[in-house]
Amino acid sequence: MRSARVLSLFAMLAILVGACAGGQPTGGGAASPSTAKAVPGGAVTFALEDDPIDFDPLRSRAFIDRNVHYQIYDSIVRIDSSGKIVPWLAEKWEVAPDGKTITFTLRKDVTYHDGSVFDAESVKWNIERYIKTQGSARSGELASVDTVQVVDASTVKFNLKAPFAPLLANLVDRAGMMVSRKAFEAATSPDDFTRKAFKAGTGPFMLTEAVKNDHITLEKNPSWWGKDKDGSALPYLDKITIKPITDSSVRTTNVRTGDAHVANSIAPKDVAGVKTESGLVYQEKPAFGFNSLIPNRKPGFVFNEARYIRAVSMAIDRKEILDKVYFGIGVVGYGTIAPSHFAYDPSFKPFEKPDPEGAKRLVQEVGKGPLQFEVLVAAGDALLLQRAQLIQAQLLKADIKMDIVQLQFAEILKLQNDHTFKGLTDIGWSGRIDPDGNTYDHVYSGRPFNDSAYSNKDVDKFLDEQRATSDQEKRKAALRAAEKIYAVDDPARIWYRFVVAQLLTVAKFKGLEPYPDQIIRFQYGWLQK
Amino acid sequence: MTQYILRRLLLMVPVAFLVTVIVFTLIRLSPGDPVLVFAGEERDPEALDALRHQYGLDQPMPVQFVVWLEHAVQGDLGRSLRTRQPVLEAITERLPKTIELGGTAILISITVALVVGTAAALNRNSALDLFATGFTLAGVSLPNFYLGIILILLFALALRIFPPGGYADFASEPFDNLKRLVLPAVTLATASLAVNMRQVRSSLLDVLSQEYLRTARAKGLGERAVIVGHAMKNGLIPVVTIFGLQVGAILDGAIITETIFFWPGVGRLAVDSISGRDYPVVQAIVLMSALSFMVSTLAVDILYAWLDPRISYTRRAT
Repeated sequence: MRSARVLSLFAMLAILVGACAGGQPTGGGAASPSTAKAVPGGAVTFALEDDPIDFDPLRSRAFIDRNVHYQIYDSIVRIDSSGKIVPWLAEKWEVAPDGKTITFTLRKDVTYHDGSVFDAESVKWNIERYIKTQGSARSGELASVDTVQVVDASTVKFNLKAPFAPLLANLVDRAGMMVSRKAFEAATSPDDFTRKAFKAGTGPFMLTEAVKNDHITLEKNPSWWGKDKDGSALPYLDKITIKPITDSSVRTTNVRTGDAHVANSIAPKDVAGVKTESGLVYQEKPAFGFNSLIPNRKPGFVFNEARYIRAVSMAIDRKEILDKVYFGIGVVGYGTIAPSHFAYDPSFKPFEKPDPEGAKRLVQEVGKGPLQFEVLVAAGDALLLQRAQLIQAQLLKADIKMDIVQLQFAEILKLQNDHTFKGLTDIGWSGRIDPDGNTYDHVYSGRPFNDSAYSNKDVDKFLDEQRATSDQEKRKAALRAAEKIYAVDDPARIWYRFVVAQLLTVAKFKGLEPYPDQIIRFQYGWLQK
Repeated sequence: MTQYILRRLLLMVPVAFLVTVIVFTLIRLSPGDPVLVFAGEERDPEALDALRHQYGLDQPMPVQFVVWLEHAVQGDLGRSLRTRQPVLEAITERLPKTIELGGTAILISITVALVVGTAAALNRNSALDLFATGFTLAGVSLPNFYLGIILILLFALALRIFPPGGYADFASEPFDNLKRLVLPAVTLATASLAVNMRQVRSSLLDVLSQEYLRTARAKGLGERAVIVGHAMKNGLIPVVTIFGLQVGAILDGAIITETIFFWPGVGRLAVDSISGRDYPVVQAIVLMSALSFMVSTLAVDILYAWLDPRISYTRRAT
């Protein structure tokens, strides 16, 4: 008996220690006013794919958190549903001709949920907090900001160290979100604030309750400044309950049974089903995120040879991956600039048709015998394994042998960050509003997400150039020139797909549309009586 | 007896310590970097180093252990690396929910196992026995995650009798709470039910062939008294062992079921913490799980003495 007890204790330990993580960032949906007559009132339940971690934008590192942030905080600027930057807390802004200052004119009718006033002082305090707090997750996005200057109560000036075109796009998201100083200082500690940021924003909804792994309650902000096109006050809804449901079939089932009204991450295999089901409305739109195979280009590893990366890029059939693994959900991709980005070039299709023969020739040209390597796949997710197996089969047509090795997500992340993985990894990217956010940190020499340890002087030069000019056309040209190098001529990775923003609602929940950042704009949603 | 219990309780301290050391080491030896995991898509190296320092992860492992232990013996289990929630709060907030789910599952499992298992033993090779044995086999063979999803599709989507998971507070919405409890509890009960039913059936069959039952019948006792008073009391001793271990294992069984039905219990916390390498939370959960095992085995041993007067803990075995 005793040995049985000891055994079961060890079995328990083994289960606990051996459980694993999986996955990669996936997506959301979004919204704006619709044509039918909206009615105020009602409560909805939002089935979210995971539990948000940090309500404080300063600390937030997870994509999932933004699903709540966008409801409770306003940013200095925002994007519309096409991805264009539009006025938000700032009514307008002006970039100095030398690109080194941006002056924002702020709305005067904005108060925080706790009653304190939003003004230029408030912007200064928030931006300085994001920059100066140790361990801030926002300091990188605001690295170009030297000082923030209060001109008057509704005018604030950002003085930059050097011109930095992507700054405005960064201010759309968490780096531009305004938090009530009073609410922050009333919390017992920053650790507690990030878990209970109650009534701390100016957004259309107020966070009033947060029970980990169970639910989050958002209540209507009755004095929000936003109006619909008829001049009626937004938001319409009285209450949103957010429930974290990690299993994708269960999440979808909750919308199908009406227990939840909306979800923004639907497994590709379930999409065809929900599209035809009456009582449900499914919408999607190209998003900013991408999927890529990441080779380790460090000396001593197989993919130190750039021609091998190109051979893999030539041999895979992106359309087949999209159709068979993702059931057609998404867009075939070859680089980092996504369809919703201003710099996207729809004619950029360097590997449109798979070319196994060409890949064979490239491998022969290197002259070191057949190409064989391993790919690391996060254990515990069927889709990731299917994807790897399909790619494996495609590569075999070019006589390239890829071995699949399943590891825990945390382990792959570590190997990738240390540049010690042997062949390829495949961890997705949720995407950024400005193409710079999708590119710079991923391919510029020595940057944090440059997991392939890629370095190309021309790429670095083009990417620096596009940061320093606010001329859209010049930026576009520089970004595209860089993309041609890091995706084709001297490849950093093998990009193969762009993700989509999804939105599944019950039919009576109206007014929403997907946004390319995958986040739902609940202020436009209303329930048909 | 009191002395025995005290001695057993005292012995739990070194065992708990050992478990702590093992878990502390194992979770840190398992590859991965907690800071990198929760850094997500914000991987600024300076900020990450600041976090590592702030959480003491840049210290040597033995130092980290001593610091942790020092706080733990004072009742401070630290804060979650990922969510910054105090670990004790994270666990006490979820434990009642796991106990509600696990307790109900065990109750269902034991009741059905006793009734059906006994009936099957008394009517050996009957249709009922065959059905019970078949059901048992199916129950053992169906993994929790599969059964859970099938139940959701059937009862939540097709028949719309029960909600597809989630939790409601018992104090404010008792009826809703119970409605949401049914599917996960049945899912969780099914696997152990199979084991329990088999155990009840075979233990009873063993006892039923014993001589003393013939004696009992011979002295004129009614069949009911023979079965309940004589056969079951003796036949159930091995069954008690299994039940006891299951009580101790509530937490482990709940891990998958809680994830499928998004039941906000300790099991889900464990899954999130392990994949996220959230060291303090994993340590606390495993420690708690070990303690619940130790307490339940102690309870089983005490129950033995009560069920079988031949077992005594006051004398030392020779």
